[in-house]
Amino acid sequence: MKLIELKNVTKTFDDGRKKIEALKETNFAVEEGEFVAVIGPSGSGKSTFLTIIGGLQTPTEGKVFINDEKFSELNEKKRAKKRFDEIGFILQASNLIPFLTVKDQLRLVNKINRSSFDKNDAQSLLDELKINDLSDKYPSDLSGGERQRAAIARALYHDPSVILADEPTASLDTNRAFEVVEILGRETKKKKKATIMVTHDERLTDYCDTVYVMKDGVLNKK
Amino acid sequence: MFLAWKEIKYSKTRFALIIGVVVLVSYLVFFLTGLAYGLAQENRTSIDKWEATGIVLADESNLNINMSMFPKELVDDVEASETASLGVTSSVVQLVEESEDDDDSKVNVTFFGVNEDEFIFPDILEGESIQNENEVIADISLKEEEGYELNDELSLAGIDTTVTIVGFTDNAKFNVAPVLYTDQPTYQHIRASGFGEREDEIISAIVVQTDNGELSEVALGTDDLEIYEIDEFISNLPGYNAQVLTFGLMIGFLVLIAAMIVGIFIYVLTLQKTSILGVMKAQGISSKYIGKSVVGQTLLLTLFGVLTGLGLTLVTGIVLPNEVPYMNNILFFVSITTLLIIVALMGAFFSVRTVVKIDPLEAIS
Ligand SMILES: Nc1ncnc2c1ncn2[C@@H]1O[C@H](COP(=O)(O)OP(=O)(O)OP(=O)(O)O)[C@@H](O)[C@H]1O
Ligand SMILES: [Mg+2]
Repeated sequence: MKLIELKNVTKTFDDGRKKIEALKETNFAVEEGEFVAVIGPSGSGKSTFLTIIGGLQTPTEGKVFINDEKFSELNEKKRAKKRFDEIGFILQASNLIPFLTVKDQLRLVNKINRSSFDKNDAQSLLDELKINDLSDKYPSDLSGGERQRAAIARALYHDPSVILADEPTASLDTNRAFEVVEILGRETKKKKKATIMVTHDERLTDYCDTVYVMKDGVLNKK
Repeated sequence: MFLAWKEIKYSKTRFALIIGVVVLVSYLVFFLTGLAYGLAQENRTSIDKWEATGIVLADESNLNINMSMFPKELVDDVEASETASLGVTSSVVQLVEESEDDDDSKVNVTFFGVNEDEFIFPDILEGESIQNENEVIADISLKEEEGYELNDELSLAGIDTTVTIVGFTDNAKFNVAPVLYTDQPTYQHIRASGFGEREDEIISAIVVQTDNGELSEVALGTDDLEIYEIDEFISNLPGYNAQVLTFGLMIGFLVLIAAMIVGIFIYVLTLQKTSILGVMKAQGISSKYIGKSVVGQTLLLTLFGVLTGLGLTLVTGIVLPNEVPYMNNILFFVSITTLLIIVALMGAFFSVRTVVKIDPLEAIS
């Protein structure tokens, strides 16, 4: 089942003097349980690609489907709601909230959902990511690797169908980076997510099912 | 509220400082209000006590009761449901046993000459009513602040007469001075400073009460007199309006300043958090949720700060010496609390606007 699908998507920035084609016409899909890597040089359009899928910007042309729904056609409010329900973001620098403990980062999701916090759910997720004993710590007290694992926990916690990771390993050393990517791959399979990871580091793609290369706004399978 | 509260818990010092400022400013506001109210009351309690509709003064007195004098027979020309003649004169009293050179023991007072069968005659809190000439009913503040007792004998400045306190009443201050109530004959004697007992008795005012609270009901049978609403009379007491306006302005500005401080603090905090709020929005957390948490936080801070300030004020009010004209007024305190919170929330809405404008795309790239 296709959880992410892009049909004829383009993105053009027009600053009045010249047009930048950040993303040329793209057709693309990610299946349930598929872990996709996107590599490519700086400025090639990777982040643009990812944020269009995440609904943070709209495509100039074409359509984005998330879970078979015309995601890119929704208005901003509905897109935000859908993003909250269906998409987990993992960013380069940690996207954790500095004044919440690891456990409270998860609990926030329940507060917004108006659902009750399931302690066991949270525990087992943190267990899987080997950060269970850190659940009462604030992000500033965690190491970079621990922080990214907490961010993965946060992204997985509300059970989205799609995980979008923009250079999640940029702030980590090689060993930690491999560890984080491995966890990401494992969770994608186990929880049947569709995951896209943007990275500079080609070695990290070993854990991925499909690798795409972005170059000057053109996406090709490697 | 979850976010708001967790953030306060995390940045304790920062928020303690903000609350501290709110506490101090609201303490100042409440305390000034208490003082202003107390002082205003000291001008007028004896008048409010009458529950009168209006007051009749001599036409040429220009609303100044000290300049109003007319023969007491003119009372007969005034037709109203209730009338009461009133003589007013200020004086200085001193316990007879004190030395005349001791200025500290002298007290400024106002004498009210009244008739026992008329409605402005005071209720007795302690002691008994006037039976004979040269007996007075005194304001209780003379007991509380000066230590005067029942049966104390007071000498008057400039006149060779003494009066005896036979009773105390409360809420009897006129123009910041305690009132001594006497009967009309004693009043006439004091007013004339003992010089030549005059045939015609002079009074200062006629206080009137009507059934429907309207002055139109009152008929004045003479051009020598003029009638005024009691509120108009009070606001024309010497210095009264200036006092009330000065304090009112000060308090108003302080409320604004307090609210602006809270608003600015919250705004700066919000600006500092722009990137993290952007990330939250990227995760799909709605501006509405974040905005609610900003407003909730403002509410928590202001409520906590203002109530603490109010508590401090009440405690101060208790330990304050009696001489300070401080008085609690629940209505003022409640409305100032509400006003402070409302204006602070208005400040918070600037922050909410910033939250709405944050572009999640910028925050994450
Ligand atoms: N808002 C924008 N306005 C104008 N041009 C933009 C905008 N956003 C991106 N671009 C341009 O689009 C191109 C692709 O940018 P993008 O951020 O997607 O690159 P990237 O592959 O993520 O690079 P990096 O690896 O450095 O993060 C760049 O040339 C960039 O300058
Ligand atoms: Mg990028």
